[in-house]
Amino acid sequence: MTSLGIPVETAQLANGLRVVVSPDRSAPVVLVGVYYRIGFRLEPEGRSGFAHLFEHMMFQGSEHAGKMMHIRLVNASGGVLNGSTAYDYTNYFEAVPSNALDRVLWLEADRMRALNVTEENLRNQRDVVKEEVRINVLNRPYGGFPWLDLPPVAYRRWPNAHNFYGDFEDLDAASIGDVREFFRTYYTPRNAALVVIGDVEPKEAFSLVERHFAPIPAGPEPPHADVDEPPPGEERRGVVEEKFGNLGGIAVGYYAPERRTDDWYAFALADRVLHGGRAGRVYRELVLEQQLAVDAEGGIHYDSGDLLDYCGPMLMTTRILHRPDIPAAKLLAALDQVTGELCEKGPEADELEQVKAKMKSDYYSALDGGGSIPRFGRMHYLACFSLFDGEPALLNTILDRFTDISPGRVREAAARYILPNNRAIVERRPVAKRGEQ
Amino acid sequence: MSAAEQANAALVPALGPERPVVWPPRTVRRLGNGMQAVLVEAHGVPRLTVELLLRSGNAATALTVPGLADMVATTVRTGTARRSRRQIEEDLRRMGGELATGAGADSSMIAADGLAEAAGPLAELVAEIAREATFPEAEFEHERQQAIEALKLERVTPGFLANERMRRELFGAHPYAVISPTIEQVEGYHLADLRAFYTHHYVASNALLIAVGDFSADRMMEHIERAFGSWPSGEQPAFEDSLLTRWRGRRVHLVHLPETTQARVVVANRAITRQHPDWTRLAVANAIYGGAFHSRLVANIREQKGYTYSPGSQAQSLRRQGWFSAQAAVRNEVVAATLTEIFYEMDRMRSLPVGAEELAEIQNYLTGVFSLGVATQDGLRRQLSTVYLHELPGDYLETYRERVRAVTIEQVLEAARKWMDSANALVVVVGDRAQVAEQAALFGEVNLWDADGKRIE
Repeated sequence: MTSLGIPVETAQLANGLRVVVSPDRSAPVVLVGVYYRIGFRLEPEGRSGFAHLFEHMMFQGSEHAGKMMHIRLVNASGGVLNGSTAYDYTNYFEAVPSNALDRVLWLEADRMRALNVTEENLRNQRDVVKEEVRINVLNRPYGGFPWLDLPPVAYRRWPNAHNFYGDFEDLDAASIGDVREFFRTYYTPRNAALVVIGDVEPKEAFSLVERHFAPIPAGPEPPHADVDEPPPGEERRGVVEEKFGNLGGIAVGYYAPERRTDDWYAFALADRVLHGGRAGRVYRELVLEQQLAVDAEGGIHYDSGDLLDYCGPMLMTTRILHRPDIPAAKLLAALDQVTGELCEKGPEADELEQVKAKMKSDYYSALDGGGSIPRFGRMHYLACFSLFDGEPALLNTILDRFTDISPGRVREAAARYILPNNRAIVERRPVAKRGEQ
Repeated sequence: MSAAEQANAALVPALGPERPVVWPPRTVRRLGNGMQAVLVEAHGVPRLTVELLLRSGNAATALTVPGLADMVATTVRTGTARRSRRQIEEDLRRMGGELATGAGADSSMIAADGLAEAAGPLAELVAEIAREATFPEAEFEHERQQAIEALKLERVTPGFLANERMRRELFGAHPYAVISPTIEQVEGYHLADLRAFYTHHYVASNALLIAVGDFSADRMMEHIERAFGSWPSGEQPAFEDSLLTRWRGRRVHLVHLPETTQARVVVANRAITRQHPDWTRLAVANAIYGGAFHSRLVANIREQKGYTYSPGSQAQSLRRQGWFSAQAAVRNEVVAATLTEIFYEMDRMRSLPVGAEELAEIQNYLTGVFSLGVATQDGLRRQLSTVYLHELPGDYLETYRERVRAVTIEQVLEAARKWMDSANALVVVVGDRAQVAEQAALFGEVNLWDADGKRIE
């Protein structure tokens, strides 16, 4: 196969907004995604967690759709909406019956043009975000392990190395002025991509987008934090306390080659040989065969995104949980044995074919979507390829680049990047509990 | 509405004409051995998803060997008469496949998906696991250890502890009361128990197979006939339901989890199953109360007060019992305030009719979200398994939207009065007792538990 043949039509408005439309008339639903090129590691220094806090503010009302009205109008149209913040983008999306497309575009345009925030809403969402951090990180076993634990150990530059969810002092320090400034700087048409998928004629979609978004001024060229960081040339280590669980945790992150380079394609397959379910070598050896670990999984951009949706330095991470009576060093030695063997001998030919079939299947699955968001992956990758690569049609061809990679190339790529001086290691150590002392 | 709000409302683009959901043809067949098969073609992506359900789950042995169905389902994938564990996993990967096995209260599941070209082999693998699992002893011992580690983790997870206590208190001596075994119980499992459960419950007359994907239904049915046709029918096992006692007044339970900075709050009462005539009415009432993002409870304790990130409510149904619950994870200081608002919103649903516009909006929401939910292979498979597992009418999905639209203001009020029983509700709080016990006590005498489920006097 050379192309999936998914229709992809593009346009750019005079104000710089990139627009991608992909029709699919199989169900009477449409999906609208607005992706802004701002994320965790692009947020201003000293304002940890701000990109995510700001995401919450985008649901607090705009000039013509006040607080709760935005949410109500989408729900009452028969749809759902959400947003998320990641390393290199923040997204907002709605899945609605196709008769609500005009309304949803109007809502997205209204908040891109004129977000309306108040002191009261900021206070309120700061409280909500703190509860979000508690439920996901502070008040749950292994919360934030390793997606929040590894970056501060692995990286040296603030954009890559700070607390992405935000220190509470930084969240408290965020002012309404910061919110407005952030909006003016990053939430502009020229810093965004808009994707429309589903039950609509492209011509109609482009004309609706033009009507709602063309009047929004382009805004200034946003400054982007420099996230480039050379490979460490050393092994970096850190320890984080685990407050609730009794298992030890180890996360090992190797610096991956630059996205979409030749090495990266081969390295991505090496990753799938190692990780990717119970057939992957790491789980098979550490959990099933040697029974040293209770769990062992991983991937590139593991537990905060996927292989395709980032733009900058990235780790291939292995996350291990193990019984406390087995020392971390033993787990690490076993992991080194598994990776060492791959670097030395490469994957078996049949194993690599399996991995490629699984990768293809997973990709299709993402394109179809699930839950209440049909075609989520189609929207997501079109937006990412648009923002990061300027080439949304990669959606149809990206898989082809993996097809012909040989076992020898995978071995080479593994051996080039899976090195002790190219990794960071974080341990989660259970604190002694009352009653166990 | 203020003049400004009116002017804004006039700007909102109207909804266009609604397009009908076109239902893909469905093939429903009972094989000679009694297995029910439901097939739907969905050609969006070249994949398929297959789910085999046995109508026996953890409830079947909850009073004798809790969690047994789960342990059986976990172990079936570790070896068959023809394939080793490793062979199974690698064959799956070759098919681009993912395999999930597990058990809920009412059913055990073997679910697999993969590339459309692997439809035949995938069906064979699912059948092999359902029919020819060998339960290798070493694999069982390993799965037992894994299960014990998972149980330890559950004992420090607030959401699990809240759910566990809620089910215990709602269902008392009924099999649905137990959602997880103890470590001692798992240590006591015998391989013979697993094999006996498998022999007794993994039989064709107890099985339901759902397949959705990029295949021709005729061809897929051939694969299914070949893989499952000779599976012995067996006997559909009986399930002994037990009666539940009613209680009056509010009951308060606190599960003490030391050093937590956030408390989990749940309010619940027993309600109805999907087969009850009030089910859709309760679903509508629930969506208005706390089911939707723009619902009353979310607007109140999240968007106005900032107490919580993820509040919500559900009407849930197992095969024989259902319940209504509302929950939120809140900072320790506002436990009492949150309970007050949860009850306030429940009482408002019970005292006053909902607005006509509010009802119309929520009806739109429910019918729209339903359409989104069946627009993917995965979503469609899930909806179908609910329909057939709960033995709902064959046109349940096709007529769902009409049923939602037919619900009236009076019926919502009546459903809320009957099934959101705030006066006799169960309150569960999971948190640090020093931080939250006094607040919980404002709602009734507190029954105190530790995280292992033992009473603290």
